[in-house]
Amino acid sequence: MFQLDSVQLLLALAIYTVIVFIFIWVENRRMHHNLQLKEHEMQRRMYEVSILKELAERIGYSLNVQKIVDVITGSLRKLLDYSTVSYLILGDEGRIIFHCIVEESVSKKFVDEVENRMIAALAALIGKEIKPQDIDESISGTVTDESNKAQIRSFFNVPVIINAHPVGLLNVASSKASLYKEEEMSILFTIMNQASTAVSKLENILNQEKGKLNAMVESMADGVLMVDTRNRLLVINPAAAKMLAIDKPSPNILDVLNRLSSKMDLRTKIEESLRFDKLEVEEQLRLDDKVLRVLISPVKDSENEPLGAVVLFHDITKEKAIEKMRDDFTSMMVHELRSPLTGIRSIANLLREDKIKNEQKKYQEFVDLIVTNSASMLDLVNDLLDVAKLESGKFQILRKLTQVSDVIKIRIQSFTSLASENHVTLESKIEDSLPALMLDENKISQVINNFLSNSIKFTQHGKITVSAFILKKGESFPRKVALLGMIWPGIKDQSFDSDRLILAVTDTGIGIEEAQIDKLFNKFTQLEQTALAEKKGTGLGLVIAKGIIEAHDGEVGVFSIIGKGSTFYGSVPLAT
Amino acid sequence: MDEKKTKILIVEDEEILLTALSEELKQEGFEVVGAKDGVEGVAKTVSEKPDLVLLDLVMPRLDGIEALKQMKDNPEIKEIPVVILTNLSDYDKVSDALSLGAMDYLVKANYRLEELVSKIKAVMERHRAGVDVVK
Repeated sequence: MFQLDSVQLLLALAIYTVIVFIFIWVENRRMHHNLQLKEHEMQRRMYEVSILKELAERIGYSLNVQKIVDVITGSLRKLLDYSTVSYLILGDEGRIIFHCIVEESVSKKFVDEVENRMIAALAALIGKEIKPQDIDESISGTVTDESNKAQIRSFFNVPVIINAHPVGLLNVASSKASLYKEEEMSILFTIMNQASTAVSKLENILNQEKGKLNAMVESMADGVLMVDTRNRLLVINPAAAKMLAIDKPSPNILDVLNRLSSKMDLRTKIEESLRFDKLEVEEQLRLDDKVLRVLISPVKDSENEPLGAVVLFHDITKEKAIEKMRDDFTSMMVHELRSPLTGIRSIANLLREDKIKNEQKKYQEFVDLIVTNSASMLDLVNDLLDVAKLESGKFQILRKLTQVSDVIKIRIQSFTSLASENHVTLESKIEDSLPALMLDENKISQVINNFLSNSIKFTQHGKITVSAFILKKGESFPRKVALLGMIWPGIKDQSFDSDRLILAVTDTGIGIEEAQIDKLFNKFTQLEQTALAEKKGTGLGLVIAKGIIEAHDGEVGVFSIIGKGSTFYGSVPLAT
Repeated sequence: MDEKKTKILIVEDEEILLTALSEELKQEGFEVVGAKDGVEGVAKTVSEKPDLVLLDLVMPRLDGIEALKQMKDNPEIKEIPVVILTNLSDYDKVSDALSLGAMDYLVKANYRLEELVSKIKAVMERHRAGVDVVK
């Protein structure tokens, strides 16, 4: 049958065109999106690297008195004669480090005696009791010899003072009698004093540097944690405390681990990062209403010794929300196109059968379905293309002398039947003196069309008025509207700084909440709404109308009162 | 076996798809009833007592998941097997639907009639067997 073949041919062509359009559109969006992602990723990487470097330096600054004393004791042999050289130093968290280097093979008892005497002396020096269980003891050098009955015959302590605070004792002891006279003692004092002075100066400088870095870490928008190799929390900045919702004054690592326990095993991640010396990343940590990206990086000193790890919490909630909106938009768009396309294919298949060809009524119904569905798909594709053009800045208008009243008349005619279905009266209110204006006639017609179709969706048993008038520079908007005998629910007192053409569609429909108005002109939220709403349409009409008015250097606006009705208007500066 | 035609209720908001599926299944010898959203779908499941429901997921007024919940909460109709109609992008929802008691699903975008018919027959078969076991 000739008629059928031509229908099918047209159909195939239409479908092919639609698919090509969609493909191009989606592909463009995807490429643009990918490019943005790559650039963003690069910037982020550089930012992270710079922070980690700063932090590594910062941890590296922490002075190790023990190391300094180690250096001194190691070189003392050239200057002094002794059986043992020992130090007792106040360490972290109330621990006390005792280390003894045995030079001549004395008994363990000898060493214990040295330790006991030093403990007593240090306790007196710092004015605090020292408990044996707080001491971490170590012995190096020659092996102790229990058969050696030598006793301590010579002995003296030198205090280790940093920044005017006693932090430990250095001791030399010998089995020889009266070994240390004033000369020997003054040598050790001098060395120790010089070392102390140098260290004190260095510490002051480092404290200043630390202060600067602290201020930087404190003020960072990203959350930062630092832990040492023994899993103790060294630093937690306010941003991290806020992200993890920890509001204790000085939280410890357990507070952090407990907070994350159900979401991620931070302790294991830190251990792995240290063990394998690599950056660990948790791409998405969902914590309450936030999405965080977590980076765990090992930190080492200049000699490549691990010092601890830095944990960086980067808030990606906004990025994720935008990503989700894009995904939702894409899937909604696909849904809007695929469902009717599937239907068209099935109906076209049915049309091929002889049985249907003989049922005139059904045949006509099927052909009509194809026509209306391909038309609405084409509308959607056109709208999507318009939006794509608007976004890429390639939307062009062509101004020519236009009679706005004629455009409105034609538009109202095209909506008459839909309006009467909804029991809605359509009216127009055009200022008598409205001259022909320089506008893009087709695009302005599209604006009126889109405003009208939006109003009709949300109005039952009511009235819709399309109006056009000139608002002079500085003239009151509400007064002009009242002067023309119109009622616009929710109109606000405002005026413009130049003469404007106002194009408006006012309805007596359900109205819009103030907070929803911005969403109306956002393509992401619009299509989503449409898919779930009962009413048909792409939902992109308002987005496009806004683009067209803006291309005319104008603005769109909405006045509304819930239950009373809404006015959608565009104000276009008169081209001079 | 069956004297009577198998009655299928199609709940689908896309008019052209509803028409196409109805016609195709009628030609395959089924009795077909249509509903254009979730509310109507639940109501017709009660009033028509179909042997099987084909249920779209994304619909106005009441979506497929909510409609399915209402069906499964209603002792009168909860035994009626449901096959989900879906798009490729709704896999999360499909797994929700399956855990709510839907028997199977069909991807609408590229369905073939033979596939749909064999799915319907298989589900009916499984349903009958299931009911027997319960008894």
